[in-house]
Amino acid sequence: MGSAEIKFFENVIETTENCRYCLMCRHTCPVGLGTHNETLTPHGWGLIIASVKRGLLTWNAQTVDALYSCADCGNCRAHCVFDQPLPHAIAAARAEVAAQNLAPAVVYELNELFKKWGNPYQPQAPEPLGGSGNVALFVGDEARYLWPSALAAALKLLKAIGVEPILVGEGRSNGFLASSLGLFETAKMLAQAVLDDVKASGASRLLVLSPGDFYSFGQLYTERLGIAWPESVAVQEVTVLLADKLDAGALKFKPISDETPYAYLDPTHTVRVPERVEAPRKLLAALYGKPGLEVFWRKDRAHPAGNTALQFTQPELSHQLTMGRLYDTLEVGARRVICDDPGTLSAIKAGAEQVRLEALGLYELLAGQL
Amino acid sequence: MAQRAVFTSEMIRSELEEIVGPPNISTDETDKLVYSTDWAWMPQMWLDRGERLATPDFILHPGTKEEISEIIKVANRFRLPVVPWGGGSGTQGGALPIYGGILIDTKRLDKIIEINEKALTVTAQAGINGSQLEWALNEKGLSLMHYPASANCATLGGYLAPRGTGTISTKYGKAEDLVIGFEVVLPNGDIIRTPHVPNHASGPDFMRLFLGSEGVFGVITEATMQVDYLPEARLMRAVLFDKVANAIEAGRRMMTRRLDPMVIRLYDPASTGSLVKSVLGYELEGAYMVLGWDGDPDIAALQEQKGMAICDELGARDLGREPGEHWWKHRYDFYYPPKSLKLPWMYGTTETVTTYDKIEGLYAAKKKAIEDTYQDWDAKYIGHFSHWFHWGAALYDRFIVEQPPADAQEALRLHNRIWNTAITASLENGGMVNEHHGVGLKLARFMPRQYGSAWPFLQSLKKAIDPNGIMNPGKVGFGF
Repeated sequence: MGSAEIKFFENVIETTENCRYCLMCRHTCPVGLGTHNETLTPHGWGLIIASVKRGLLTWNAQTVDALYSCADCGNCRAHCVFDQPLPHAIAAARAEVAAQNLAPAVVYELNELFKKWGNPYQPQAPEPLGGSGNVALFVGDEARYLWPSALAAALKLLKAIGVEPILVGEGRSNGFLASSLGLFETAKMLAQAVLDDVKASGASRLLVLSPGDFYSFGQLYTERLGIAWPESVAVQEVTVLLADKLDAGALKFKPISDETPYAYLDPTHTVRVPERVEAPRKLLAALYGKPGLEVFWRKDRAHPAGNTALQFTQPELSHQLTMGRLYDTLEVGARRVICDDPGTLSAIKAGAEQVRLEALGLYELLAGQL
Repeated sequence: MAQRAVFTSEMIRSELEEIVGPPNISTDETDKLVYSTDWAWMPQMWLDRGERLATPDFILHPGTKEEISEIIKVANRFRLPVVPWGGGSGTQGGALPIYGGILIDTKRLDKIIEINEKALTVTAQAGINGSQLEWALNEKGLSLMHYPASANCATLGGYLAPRGTGTISTKYGKAEDLVIGFEVVLPNGDIIRTPHVPNHASGPDFMRLFLGSEGVFGVITEATMQVDYLPEARLMRAVLFDKVANAIEAGRRMMTRRLDPMVIRLYDPASTGSLVKSVLGYELEGAYMVLGWDGDPDIAALQEQKGMAICDELGARDLGREPGEHWWKHRYDFYYPPKSLKLPWMYGTTETVTTYDKIEGLYAAKKKAIEDTYQDWDAKYIGHFSHWFHWGAALYDRFIVEQPPADAQEALRLHNRIWNTAITASLENGGMVNEHHGVGLKLARFMPRQYGSAWPFLQSLKKAIDPNGIMNPGKVGFGF
């Protein structure tokens, strides 16, 4: 490990010294709230890391299991008035654990998949870059493999506003999952591959399909991976662009007269990009003629669904988080749940069917009403 | 400490597991460490120095009051200590499992049972998180009007058990004033409810026995609290006094003339020059006072006008709305690291309460006692007057030692000596042992002195209610 990396780890892990006894974000941690376990809370993770440092605990099956129970959703940091980067500290601790071969076995299996295929879902290499142009669209692995209809719909919508982007990173992970698992070198490799694609495309504007991608390119690369995002490339979510065009009168939709009560589900990582929360609501209000029902865990306190690293390291917990979001939706009387993020949609689909909620993609809904 | 043989532990574990289910019981070393500390300085310092604390033998997450009842019956049979745990955000060591035993984490009891918009009450299980409860009420235009700094982490039961207070308790009352009734599991496992209204003439008010009991008389499992409509207006203001005495008098006049401020927060010069500066960014000399009125806009405006006239009479400089609004927006920032007091410093909040005729003398006496006695340690004393009543005010004072002993035992001894000095000064100058953080472990030793001839009576109550002494032993002055 280079000396610059050690310094990064030290600086970031210092955060745990601040967080280990602070309880001020506990009210928003989805894992803490779902498990009711003090250990699985921001302060619990901070205290575990600080206690290992002091020799009170060691990294073993129990402590590692706890360490890998954080969803890396960003809720804690989003509600910290002093912006403590605890998710980065937890990821850094995971990197230390992984380097010592103490991480859960699935972490190493995923590492091999990321290195070989660039994604954890399909044994298929990313699509090669298809050209060059001023505007590119990062597809990623979730849209390519888990919820492909979102991509087709988004392209149709973009065409309607005169945008025909070059597709980049088709089938490639943006690096967030790998970093979340503590696989920093692999995450950097994935990130660099994305950057190489973007640079080769010649794009000065990169559109993304989810707040998770927006967060990764806008914050994660710099803060967690030490990789600078090129200043010449502006990143924008497709949803936000469409809402802007709607406001400008450049986009029109046929109204939907269906009276099924609906709710918009803020995607995983929304709390990291709070400025995007009104865009999808505006679009849906234009479709339905009225705003949707609002779930309790929404907007700046939106909980993640199961499309975090937990789906691999803690599948039961991941499922619990997903079902929590669906029960949240049912509780306000919604019968339809709508989201734009392919990863979130993929995570909630099966559970939504189980509880008789109709799960629809926002892009698909909009594209169908052009 | 009782060292339980593995065999015995396993036998007990099997019984407990049968009550709560396998996913809801833990004996993991990691969990035990995390549950071994609350928000008190002593255990945090202890762990910070790499020392181990006493841990619970079993950590349970019951889902119903019946499960809690069964757990307590098992505890009685085996003479196991039982420590109720809400948010673990107490500062007095009240939730520390110092004798091991069973720790009951109440957070699975987190449902809102009813929001009654006619009676303006909310009934919720005691393990619900404070901020989540507030958000749920806000969705209906209501509020608990209980805004402690610990709202993000405390539970409803934790609000009540130590008789907690909140930012606007000056107008709306402490948690004990907001409670209508509750349900509690007694130390013998019986589940009882207090009457459904708090004010009546139908016999002794036994509800109040449990307020401030901090788990020694049972486990609160559900409570009904009064709520209010979210205020139409909230008017914040800040003023600066040259003299603390004048500021105290201004507060006294506002309270005794029933001008009904929701908040009076008076910082002494030391706090103004340190905390207010570092957290809010204001460089001021003197006693900074934040004032606030809420409710009907016309009434609030008139009350504010009258309040400001009092301040003016007593020589205050009006700083305007912005410092007051800024304080309101950042009122919890004082508790977030890195702005909060934190290790390796030694610090304690030795807050107390007394009547208006004694409050100035109390403040002066405590300040002198701490600063004079611990000069060698360069002990600093800062204070603010945080919560006001018709008859007196709370002094929220703190001591700070920036370079305490590195050795954990020496540090703890010094810490406890300073607390002795502070509490003795409180008691000798008309103050109480504590106003709103509770007694816990840290202040337990002062209870006989606080209550004098009434202490044996309280002990006899404890003996009657909890004959085996299993409920939170060592806390609030009660042993086994």
